[in-house]
Amino acid sequence: MAGNKGRGRAAYTFNIEAVGFSRGEKLPDAVLKPPPLFPDADYKPVPLRTGEGEDYMLALKQELRETMKRMPYFMETPEEKQDIERYSKRYMKVYKEEWIPDWRRLPREMMPTKKCKKGPKSKKAKDAGKGTSLTNTADVLKKIEELEKRGDGEKSDEENEEKEGSKEKGKEGEEEEEDDAAEQEEYDEEEQEEENDYINSYFEDGDDFGADSDDNMDEATY
Amino acid sequence: MTQAEIKLCSLLLQEHFGEIVEKIGVHLIRTGSQPLRVIAHDTGTSLDQVKKALCVLIQHNLVIYQVHKRGVVEYEAQCSRVLRMLRYPRYIYTAKTLYSDTGELIVEELLLNGKMTMSAVVKKVADRLTETMEDGKTMDYAEVSNTFVRLADTHFVQRCPLVPATENSDSGPPPPAPTLVISEKDMYLVPKLSLIGKGKRRRSSEEDATGEPKAKRPKHTADNKEPIPDDGIYWQADLDRFHQHFRDQAIVSAVANRMDQTSSEIVRTMLRMSEITTSSSAPFTQPLSSNEIFRSLPVGYNISKQVLDQYLTLLADDPLEFVGKSGDSGGGMYVINLHKALGSLATATLESVVQERFGSRCARIFRLVLQKKHLEQKQEIPKTPDHAPSRTFYLYTVNILSAARMLLHRCYKSIANLIERRQFETKENKRLLEKSQRVEAIIASMQATGAEEAQLQEIEEMITAPERQQLETLKRNVNKLDASEIQVDETIFLLESYIESTMKRQ
Repeated sequence: MAGNKGRGRAAYTFNIEAVGFSRGEKLPDAVLKPPPLFPDADYKPVPLRTGEGEDYMLALKQELRETMKRMPYFMETPEEKQDIERYSKRYMKVYKEEWIPDWRRLPREMMPTKKCKKGPKSKKAKDAGKGTSLTNTADVLKKIEELEKRGDGEKSDEENEEKEGSKEKGKEGEEEEEDDAAEQEEYDEEEQEEENDYINSYFEDGDDFGADSDDNMDEATY
Repeated sequence: MTQAEIKLCSLLLQEHFGEIVEKIGVHLIRTGSQPLRVIAHDTGTSLDQVKKALCVLIQHNLVIYQVHKRGVVEYEAQCSRVLRMLRYPRYIYTAKTLYSDTGELIVEELLLNGKMTMSAVVKKVADRLTETMEDGKTMDYAEVSNTFVRLADTHFVQRCPLVPATENSDSGPPPPAPTLVISEKDMYLVPKLSLIGKGKRRRSSEEDATGEPKAKRPKHTADNKEPIPDDGIYWQADLDRFHQHFRDQAIVSAVANRMDQTSSEIVRTMLRMSEITTSSSAPFTQPLSSNEIFRSLPVGYNISKQVLDQYLTLLADDPLEFVGKSGDSGGGMYVINLHKALGSLATATLESVVQERFGSRCARIFRLVLQKKHLEQKQEIPKTPDHAPSRTFYLYTVNILSAARMLLHRCYKSIANLIERRQFETKENKRLLEKSQRVEAIIASMQATGAEEAQLQEIEEMITAPERQQLETLKRNVNKLDASEIQVDETIFLLESYIESTMKRQ
């Protein structure tokens, strides 16, 4: 290929005029900047399909978007602290059901281990059959301690895991997970309750009225 | 994973599950398989939040885990499964067309929750259906169960892999993570449940004047204490089965467009007969004899055997090769060439894109090159056999697989752009939207307490005419963007199906 360069002008195998510029003309300048963000299109796009199916799917899509935001799987990012804590904000929190995964299906490390503020109620009763009498007393004391604090029962998981490590009982895994499921449902409800006498429904503006809409709300939302 | 795919996954995760889940999900998509602590460290997120996010992702079948040596559990994201979230409306709508409202809600619940037990689904769907029924009427659990069984029988829903039953006499500590298994025969096996009951209505706001949040109400008093009969048996939507349905739909409608209604009905019959016998990734269906096809035609379709044979011959002779003849026994053995059909559909998509983007002339050239496989600009016969550049001819060709991939990549980018624009439009008008929602809420509550027309009028006027105009425009734009997303996803489906089918054959 290099051999032909000396033999006069190069001959193109295709008709050069057809490509867009004639022979001898300078090749277009090298492009020095990125192409435009919104290039002009030569032809207008084809209009979207319309029909019953399309309309229904559109409505479905918008509904799903809204529904997903209200589901417990949607993890809200904790907002930054505002300058003044608005009083009404406490009562405007959208109630979301807590979701408890089926721990049996998940790796053990998935179970949360953060310290709980409120202890479980009947948790330790189950443990009674497992340990020695010494451990039982320790359990009872621990239970009393926990009952004094508030919070969710996840600490019990941590404690149980520790015990598991020390006692090495294969059976515990299954049992305690059943407990957890029952436990967490119990105190979830309590956790949601405010620590005062105000009726949760009292708020200043009409924000929350109708906001908790049905699942079957047909109105399209954005 | 290309950048475009990752970007799209990020947008989808963020819209559906929030920023924290998005951060973890995208991180896993980018880096591949990683253990828990590494994820927390690399993303700078607290361990607790990473765990929650992973639980959500695993629940929705977007992340899987594997136990590696020394007991380390690693988590891996399924990028392609994340992209399937775009198709949820289509899955749900399909279920509606096949199994009406009950089927629709079953599939919707399964998709919204990732996986559920049958009893939970039945109860939830019965409740939802009851809400929409007239006062005093309720939906019976049995009816919902029946629809569920039908969905399982036709493989639209399937069981999730199970936790193996552990023996109590296990020595040693339990494994760091369960190994979930399911056997082929169990996958669509519906447990014997006797679900008795009716859907319950949620208390409407009229009866419950204080509008208490649900927390205050006694939480499902009796139900929670009862043991769940099918505990541990979870179900999920079988997306591959839906895809098979979409593919069949596309083939049938292509035949209808190209030929006529009767031909498409014959093809539809053949596909229906092959539903269970042929795996969805096979290049062609099992051979079907003309006699069998004749017997399986829908009731009321009155064509004679000879006419059917004529149609079959026509279909087999068609250059598109959707139908092929594989033998002569039984009046003629015919197959549907699934792979060829997908190829034709992908090619048609490419042709259409060229036409709409570059004009008819370009489309003509494109089709010509496709047809002739290799074309030279001016059809000249080479004069000399050596490879001198001045006498070497360059031929043009279309590499369908490459082109399909390129177009697919563009589709991902397009949808990402559509979503971003929609979010931008919504954000721009956030203040106005919130105001409009507040006004609506006030009107609703006033109507509930029986307000006068004049008062309602006054509240409605809080939104000025130009504001209404703005809201109308916003709604129109958002609808257009949403509809575009749905349509682009259809193209994505065709291209992905073709590419997958081609890759399997190589």
